[in-house]
Amino acid sequence: MASWRHSITLRLSLAFALLATLVFAALGVYLGRSADAHMAELDAHELLGKLVLVRNVGARENSPEALAARLGDALVGEHGVMVAVDGEKGAIFRWPADGSAARLTSATGSVGETPVRLALDGRDFRVVAGSVHTTWGAPVRAVVARDIRHHTDFLDELQRDFWLALAAAALLTMVVGIAVARRGMQPVREIATAAGRISAGQLAERIPEANVPPELAELVSAFNAMLGRLEESFQRLSDFSADLAHELRTPLHALRMQTEVSLIKPRDSDEYRDLLASNLEEYERLSRMIADMLLLAKAEHGLVIPHRETLGLTDLCRQLVDYYGILAEHLQLGLDGENLAIRGDRLMLQRAIGNLLVNAIHHTPPTGRVTLAVRRRDGMAEIVVGNSGPQIPAEALRTIFERFVRADQGGEGSGLGLAIARSIVVAHGGGIAASSSGQLTKFVITLPLAD
Amino acid sequence: MKILIVEDEAKTGDYLKQGLAEAGFTADLVRNGVDGMHEGLSGEHDLLILDVNLPGLDGWQVLKALRAAGRDLPVLFLTARDQVEDRVKGLELGADDYLVKPFAFSELLARVRTLLRRDRIREVRMLALADLELDVLKRRATRAGKRIDLTAKEFALLELFLRRQGEVLSRSFIASQVWDMNFDSDTNVVEVAIRRLRAKIDEDFAPKLIHTLRGMGYVMDIR
Repeated sequence: MASWRHSITLRLSLAFALLATLVFAALGVYLGRSADAHMAELDAHELLGKLVLVRNVGARENSPEALAARLGDALVGEHGVMVAVDGEKGAIFRWPADGSAARLTSATGSVGETPVRLALDGRDFRVVAGSVHTTWGAPVRAVVARDIRHHTDFLDELQRDFWLALAAAALLTMVVGIAVARRGMQPVREIATAAGRISAGQLAERIPEANVPPELAELVSAFNAMLGRLEESFQRLSDFSADLAHELRTPLHALRMQTEVSLIKPRDSDEYRDLLASNLEEYERLSRMIADMLLLAKAEHGLVIPHRETLGLTDLCRQLVDYYGILAEHLQLGLDGENLAIRGDRLMLQRAIGNLLVNAIHHTPPTGRVTLAVRRRDGMAEIVVGNSGPQIPAEALRTIFERFVRADQGGEGSGLGLAIARSIVVAHGGGIAASSSGQLTKFVITLPLAD
Repeated sequence: MKILIVEDEAKTGDYLKQGLAEAGFTADLVRNGVDGMHEGLSGEHDLLILDVNLPGLDGWQVLKALRAAGRDLPVLFLTARDQVEDRVKGLELGADDYLVKPFAFSELLARVRTLLRRDRIREVRMLALADLELDVLKRRATRAGKRIDLTAKEFALLELFLRRQGEVLSRSFIASQVWDMNFDSDTNVVEVAIRRLRAKIDEDFAPKLIHTLRGMGYVMDIR
């Protein structure tokens, strides 16, 4: 991966590890505290128990000596416990007798029956103190101390173990996190591999959508849809190039043959003139075709921008009927309808409607009829070019607006007229449709009315 | 009539010059914008044919400089890109007309003549060639004294020919002038229209007045 800073795997596993550490730490602190409190409670229980013992003994024995002796017996076997009993005249009892409890009384002057932690001679104690009623006279003071080193040692060890465990757990979470995240990212890598396989020549390839996790399904289907669009436009582009090459090759070939054959032997100037004139006609056709192809290519990319003005449709159509009517002297050519106003490019619309009209005229037998009608329908302007020519098969109708498609195989014209008409109409925000029955073939242009 | 051509494409420039010279004009050819501007500023030309796409100074800059210096000679610009913005820009900068490459030479010639004629349009009532006469006001045509019935468009076509005697008129120019069809179409409408006009004014008479120049267009004169 290029940059670990942005790695999803790393970020995910770090987040997992951090979260786990936080949870463990909180838990650990809580457990430590409860253990500590529990120990304190145990200690308090024991200390207060010893204090009660001293009081019981004090109530029963009738001299300090008897008390000391009795307590000494009672405490045999107790380790880590110190007891000091002091009367008015000084120390009555010390446990253990080895003198380690000597400073207990002086260090615990203010301690009462609530256990207190106290450091004495470098050792930790928990201490309680209280007065004890005696049968022989004034009450005496008893101090009970418990060495809590065992407990603190235990807690310290517990804590150390815990932090070690925590570190290990964090590390483990992270490792597992990385593994899980990598596994989770596997489909992404698969998508990347699949995408890597796709090149201009293999646009038909798709990323399989079957086993993709739902989080990635959207991405994959969007990606596949994009591939579909790319494939389509790529296909269109290569069709376009192939069509263009083919359509240009034919007239070029004719030009070449003609010129070559003419140059084989000397000819008189009239023949040369004829040749040049004929070449000129071909050149004209070629440049017209190139201009048309260019227009179509631009239209396909939405680059045909009509230079809009307000136009009367019937006026526009009448002009066209005037012009193309010259080709249809033998036909009945009619124009009717209301003069609807639209906003459009005069030149382009002349061309679009003109192309339909020429087509209609060319495909209608001399006894036939060609009609041009303008009408309002569903808030749109409709221009209907109808003719009584032969029916166009449904199959041909479907592709009739594609470029280089000629309904009559090998028919005249560039095969671009209808494609251009459609491009122009679409650039005007309108639509175009064709229908054909035995009696009537209709091409209908729909355009938005001027408001 | 002296015409300045600014065109960097060698063949196009040379043939433009030759064609214009053979059509009776004096033509100077320069091949870049800087020379074009200097020549244009010299003030000795009646018309400028200006290619837009030039090395150094482009056509727009040349045009701007000329207009800024107060040179008001008619300018016909040539562009390879058929884009509305281009046309609008050229006309806004003060060009008088434009042609999109590739164009027919006869088309260029017709435009040039129109531009040069622009400021001296005379209202002519009678147009005539040989024994063909046209009364523009009364909309009446006669040949050898015989009245000829013409449709409105036939009349307009004949008027165009008579006004442009001796000039080669391309089909697209005729379509644009007579029918206001301003796009190239590969139909033979103009051919058919001219065939009909010929049938009326030429068929039964001599000399023939309308001549076809194959691949170029039509010309009206006495040959």
